[in-house]
Amino acid sequence: MHYQTGSGSCKVPLKRSVATDPMERIERMAAAHAVVIFSDSTCCMCHTAKRLFCSLGVSPVIYEIDQDPRGEDLSKALLRLHGGAAPVPTVFIGGRLVGAIDSVMASHINGSLVPLLKEAGALWL
Amino acid sequence: MASHRVGEPAALSDSGAPHHHHIPYAVPHMLHHPTNSNFINQEGPAFDFGELEEAIILQGVKINNDDKKQHLYTAIRPAATLDMFPSWPMRFHQHTTRGSSKSGEESTDSGSAVNTLSNTPESPSDHRQPPPPPPQMDAAGGIDSPRMSGLQSQPPAKPAPEKTLRRLAQNREAARKSRLRKKAYVQQLESSRIRLAQLEQDLQRARSQGLFLGGGGAASGSISSGGAIFDMEYSRWLDDDHRHISELRTALQAHLSDSDLRVIVDGYIAHYDEVFSLKGAAAKSDVFHLITGMWTTPAERCFLWMGGFRPSDLIKMLIPQLDPLTEQQFMGICSLQHSSQQAEEALSQGLDQLQQSLVDTIANGSVNDSMRHMAVSLGKLANLEGFVRQADNLRQQTLHQLHRLLTIRQAARCFLVIGEYYGRLRALSSLWASRPRESMIAEDNSCQTTSDLQMVQASQNQFSNF
Repeated sequence: MHYQTGSGSCKVPLKRSVATDPMERIERMAAAHAVVIFSDSTCCMCHTAKRLFCSLGVSPVIYEIDQDPRGEDLSKALLRLHGGAAPVPTVFIGGRLVGAIDSVMASHINGSLVPLLKEAGALWL
Repeated sequence: MASHRVGEPAALSDSGAPHHHHIPYAVPHMLHHPTNSNFINQEGPAFDFGELEEAIILQGVKINNDDKKQHLYTAIRPAATLDMFPSWPMRFHQHTTRGSSKSGEESTDSGSAVNTLSNTPESPSDHRQPPPPPPQMDAAGGIDSPRMSGLQSQPPAKPAPEKTLRRLAQNREAARKSRLRKKAYVQQLESSRIRLAQLEQDLQRARSQGLFLGGGGAASGSISSGGAIFDMEYSRWLDDDHRHISELRTALQAHLSDSDLRVIVDGYIAHYDEVFSLKGAAAKSDVFHLITGMWTTPAERCFLWMGGFRPSDLIKMLIPQLDPLTEQQFMGICSLQHSSQQAEEALSQGLDQLQQSLVDTIANGSVNDSMRHMAVSLGKLANLEGFVRQADNLRQQTLHQLHRLLTIRQAARCFLVIGEYYGRLRALSSLWASRPRESMIAEDNSCQTTSDLQMVQASQNQFSNF
């Protein structure tokens, strides 16, 4: 897992665009990697999402929005995007929105998650 | 004391229609059993053997054709009040009254015990109350059954012996008491009915206004009102489930067409969707009620996972029952089981983290900051609802995926198996709850348990038919 943090000390450099619309930021962040999870470090459901992808053998990129200086905007934008109960966790695969945890679970149960992951290059059989 | 009740076919039928017809046959039998009050008790608070017996005995003894004695055959009015069984014809006969002075007292309308108890404080005052007649036998008791009409025309004979008179008086007394009891019982029933209707109304109102959130006044015992409401809805859902299962079973046995089966199977899926929606609402109002499994039976509770069944366990149980499966179907179901396991594991780990975080918060709160600390704990606790909802979501998705993977006939069998499985689990809970505890009574009860076990085994044989 690769963590993106708002501060300078991070493993992967974060692009800084001060005046960017949060939605654009999200799209850019989502497109950058095969599997992207927007998360909150204190949220337990986000932990569930992370554990699920790990158990599939995937290494998602995690954005902890509570550690982002403009996390508030991101949170609102995420909520608008998928209209779920909570802004996090929100999952993108191959740059496309999968949704909140219930969508991820549903897609895993109906068998569509793994093909999606393979298509995005996150999983190799 | 004469009976004031003149004609009460409706009251006689209180215990059920058959009594109407059984009376002539019951009477000779009854005459051998002098314990009239006991008999009345057994029949319920209605049947008035006292007067009946009185009439028969008097008839047998041949009463004098006295003007006074004609009261025995006075007019029988139909029951005007408390017509509890309006569909049954209320028979009455008009018999000629011989103009006795007492007959005026008899003319009080009677429908039931309600108005005959002039001396009791509880009798409603809207019936005319006759003054209590003198206690000696004056044959003023009315004949309450039109079947006695055959006796009407017979000529009365000599006065009854002393012992018989005394017994008749006792009978009357017993009859009177039974009428009292019946009246009290009926009033109790009526008030209970009204109270029940009010309670249901209150529940509905409270529910629609969302007033059942958490603590406060409405908690009765240890179940919050949210939990109580869910229990009520769930028990209704269980009745529906029973109906659906029977429908599935008969549909499979009848070898209906696929399109007909599809309708029934879709109905069953919708039925399960409904319980998940009910649980969703319950999770909002009282997640602990769901998580602790107080809404389920003990055996189900034993296997509880996050407020319900564990989907991968259900699939594991189903696979051998669903034979024969195509290779593709078998792979699909195994993959479903695997995915479900992964999802369950992830949810369980998330819940573990929540619990750990909660423990930390509660343990490490400072005394000075207790309010904020409690608020933080409350916030964390609120996440429980999310986990139960995701678990239910997982269950729902699993059932839908099963439906997709199987042919319609296989799906029908599959859901029948699921329904029967949980039915048995519930039956097991009941058996367990009623099992013999002491070895002393083990012999008696073991026979009962054996027959219960045979019942379970019989249904299992039926199970293997599919």
